[in-house]
Amino acid sequence: MTEAKPLQANVTGGPTKRSARSVFAGLEIDGRLFGMIAALAILWVAFNFLSDGLFLSPRNLWNLSVQSAAVAIMTCGMVLIIVSRNIDLSIGSILVFVALIMGLMQTEWIPNTLGLGLNQPYTWIVVVVVGIAVGALIGALHGFLIAYIGIPSFIVTLGGLLIWRGAAFLLARGRTIAPLDTTFQLLGGGPSGSLGETLSWLIAGLAIVGLIYSLLASRRRRRRYGFPLRAVWADVALGTIGSVAVAGAVWVANSYPWPPALAAAYALEHNIPVPPGGLQIPTGIAIPVLIAIGIALGMTFLANRRRFGRYVYSIGGNPDAAELAGINTRWTIMKTFIAMGVLAAVAAAVTAARLNAATNGLGSGVELQVIAAAVIGGTSFSGGIGTIAGGVLGAVVMQSLSSGMVLIGVDTALQDIVLGLVLVAAVGLDTVLRRRRA
Amino acid sequence: MSIRKVAAILTIAALTFGACSSSATSAPGGASGGCKVGVAWATFQEERYGLRDEPAIRAALAAGGATYIGNSALNKADIQTANVESLIAAGIKVLVLNSTDPKAMLPSVKKAVDAGIAVIAYDRELESAKALFMTHDNVEVGRMIAEAVTKAQPTGNYAIILGDKTQTNPVFLRTGMAKVLDPLIASGAIKIVGEQNTPNWAADAAQTEMEQMLTAANNDIQAVLSENDNMATGAVAALKAQGLELKVKIGAQDGDKAALNRVALGTQVVSVWKNSADLGTAAGKAALELCKNPDISKVTGAKAVKTSGGLDGYGVNLNPVPITQDNLQVVLDAKWITVAELCKDVKPASVKGCP
Repeated sequence: MTEAKPLQANVTGGPTKRSARSVFAGLEIDGRLFGMIAALAILWVAFNFLSDGLFLSPRNLWNLSVQSAAVAIMTCGMVLIIVSRNIDLSIGSILVFVALIMGLMQTEWIPNTLGLGLNQPYTWIVVVVVGIAVGALIGALHGFLIAYIGIPSFIVTLGGLLIWRGAAFLLARGRTIAPLDTTFQLLGGGPSGSLGETLSWLIAGLAIVGLIYSLLASRRRRRRYGFPLRAVWADVALGTIGSVAVAGAVWVANSYPWPPALAAAYALEHNIPVPPGGLQIPTGIAIPVLIAIGIALGMTFLANRRRFGRYVYSIGGNPDAAELAGINTRWTIMKTFIAMGVLAAVAAAVTAARLNAATNGLGSGVELQVIAAAVIGGTSFSGGIGTIAGGVLGAVVMQSLSSGMVLIGVDTALQDIVLGLVLVAAVGLDTVLRRRRA
Repeated sequence: MSIRKVAAILTIAALTFGACSSSATSAPGGASGGCKVGVAWATFQEERYGLRDEPAIRAALAAGGATYIGNSALNKADIQTANVESLIAAGIKVLVLNSTDPKAMLPSVKKAVDAGIAVIAYDRELESAKALFMTHDNVEVGRMIAEAVTKAQPTGNYAIILGDKTQTNPVFLRTGMAKVLDPLIASGAIKIVGEQNTPNWAADAAQTEMEQMLTAANNDIQAVLSENDNMATGAVAALKAQGLELKVKIGAQDGDKAALNRVALGTQVVSVWKNSADLGTAAGKAALELCKNPDISKVTGAKAVKTSGGLDGYGVNLNPVPITQDNLQVVLDAKWITVAELCKDVKPASVKGCP
C-alpha cells in the first residue's frame, strides 16, 4: 500500500493541468463513463415511453437491479481478465458446477448423508464457503495451466466450458435440485431477501459518509504530496451528485412495496392489523444487489489501489515490459483467474438462490453476456484498458435492454438482433472516439 | 480469433468427446458379434435424457444382445453432424437420432441411409420420410397442458412461456394448446397477455421473462402455460416472489421430479408426463428389429404419418398422461419417483398419494 500511494496521485493528478477546458476535466470524471451513463439514461427514458411508464416504475427498476446482479458480479472479474489480455469462456460452466454442488450439499449431503436435517441455521454459510472454495480451486487450476504451462486462455477455458458442464451433469445426472435451504434462498433477493426500509437507509447513510470521507482524504493526500488539488466546487459537486444518486437509488428501492399477497400473509402471521388499501412494507435493497455493489467496490479497490491491480494493468499494457520490470506476471495472471472462479461461485449462489433450484441448464451462455458487458463497459481486447465501474454499467445496459424488450413484448428473435447491434455499435463508437482523442 | 477457428476447435472437441464416450461405452459388446446401435443425443441439459431415456435404451439393447454407442451435441447441429459421422465410422447398423434441428441434420440422415443404416428420429422430428419418428404425441401434450389449466382456471389473463425458437417441439406444443385456448379466446373467457420464447429452454431465462410479464400486467395474470417443467421452475420462482405461487395456475410437461413435487404441493396444476423410459424402451426394441430388417415401415406399431413439412413417413406415437393432484399414484406405481421425493414439504394427508 505504501508504495502505491504516489502512483495513485500521479495517475489522477495528471489531467488537472488541462482542466480549464471543460467541466469534466475539472471533475476528473472519465468521459467514457459519463457517456455510458448518458446512454443508459436515454435508453431508460425511451423504454419508459414505450411501456407507458412501466419501465421507470420502482417495481421494474428493483427487478432490473436483481436481474443484473449475477452478471455484474462476474463482470468485475472478467474486466481484469480481459485487461490482462486473456479471456474466460468457462464461467457459465463453473457457475452450474458450483451451483449443483451447493444445491446437493444443502438438500442431500448435509441433511441426509451426514444426517443433520434440512434448513439448519449454519447450512447456508457452510454451503457458500465450500462453493467459493470449489470456484477458487477451479480458477486456480485454469490460471496455473494458462500462466505457468503457457496454454492459451482461450483453449484452457474452452476446455473448462465443456468439462465443468459435463461434470455438473455427472454430479446430479441431470436432476433439478429443489427446493433449497430457506436461509440460502435469501441470497437470491425477493422481498424477504431484501434489507427493508431502515437498513437500506442506514446503508445509504454509510455510503454517503464514506463518499465524503474519501473526497476529503484524497484532498489531504494530494496536499501532502504536493499535487494539484481539485477545485472546491468540483469536490462539492462530486459529493452532492454522489449523495443524491445513492439516496435516490435507495428511495426507489424503498418505494417498491412488498407484493400485496406477501404483505397480507406477513400481516396474518404477525397479527398486524391491515390498514385499508393493504399493508405497505417497503422492500429496500435486495441482498444480491448489495453483494454485487460490495464486490464492485472491493474489486475497484483491488484494481486501483493495490499492487495486484497495477500489475494487471501493466501486464495488459505491455506484457514484456511488465516482465522485464520485475513483475511476477505468472502469479498475477493466476490470481486473476482465481478471482474469476470465486466470483463465478458467488454468482452461482445468487442465481440458484433466486431460482430456488439448481438445474442443469443454469448459466448456459452467460459467459457471452459477461464478456459483452465488460466490452460495452469500455474494456479493450487489446489489453490494459477497462474499469470495473464501466463493466458493471455494461451489465446494467445489457439487462435493461433485454428485460425492457420483454416488458414491451418484442419478439425474441428481434431481441437477439438488437442486443447484437448494440454490442457492435457501442464498441465501434468507442473505438472511433478513442482514435479521434489520440 | 476467427469464427472458423472457433468452429474448428469445437468440432475437434466434439469429435474427441464423441470418441471418448464411444470407447467408454462400447467395450463389452464386441465379443458376441451383436448389432451396433448408435445414439446421437442432442443434449443432456434436461433431467429426463440422462436419467430416463438413455438407461432405458441401453437396457433394451443389452437385453437383445446389441451394443450401445452414444454421444451428445450440446444442442448444436454442427457438433451433432460430426457426432453422427463418428458413429457411422464406428460401424453402427441403426442410428437413433435425437435431433438438434429438423432440417440441419438431414445431410447426416442421408449419409447414414446411404451407408445402409436405418434411422430413428428419437423424440424430436426430422424433416425426412426415411426416418422412423418415435415420440410422444407432442401436440397432444400441449393440448393436455392447456386442458388441465383451463379446467382449474376457466377465465382470466394467460401468459405462455415457449421453448427455444429454433426447434419444432415448441410449435407442436403450442398447436395443441391452441386447440383448447382458441375457442376460449374467441368467447372472451381468457386473454393471452404475454407470450415469449426462451433461449435453450433455460429456467433462469424463464424466471426473468415471468417477472417482466407480471410487471407489465401489474400481476393481473391468472394462469401460465409453460412448455416444459424446467422453465416452470423459473416461472414459479417469479410467482413466489410476488406471493402468487398458489393463486396463479401453471401447467407444464416432462414429469421432472421437482415439478411433480410442485403438483403435490399445489404450486403447479399439471405436469404432462411422457414416460421417457417407455419411449427409450420402445426405441431400443425398434432398433433391435431394424438390426434384422432395416425397413422402417415393418417396425411393430409403425403407422403412416405426415411430417411437419408434409412428407409421407412412418412413426410410432406413445400416449402422454397428465399428472395432477388426482392421479399422483401413477408416477409412484411406475417407480418414476419415490414417495419422499414426491411429497417433500407436503402437509401430511392433504393429497392423495402422499402419506
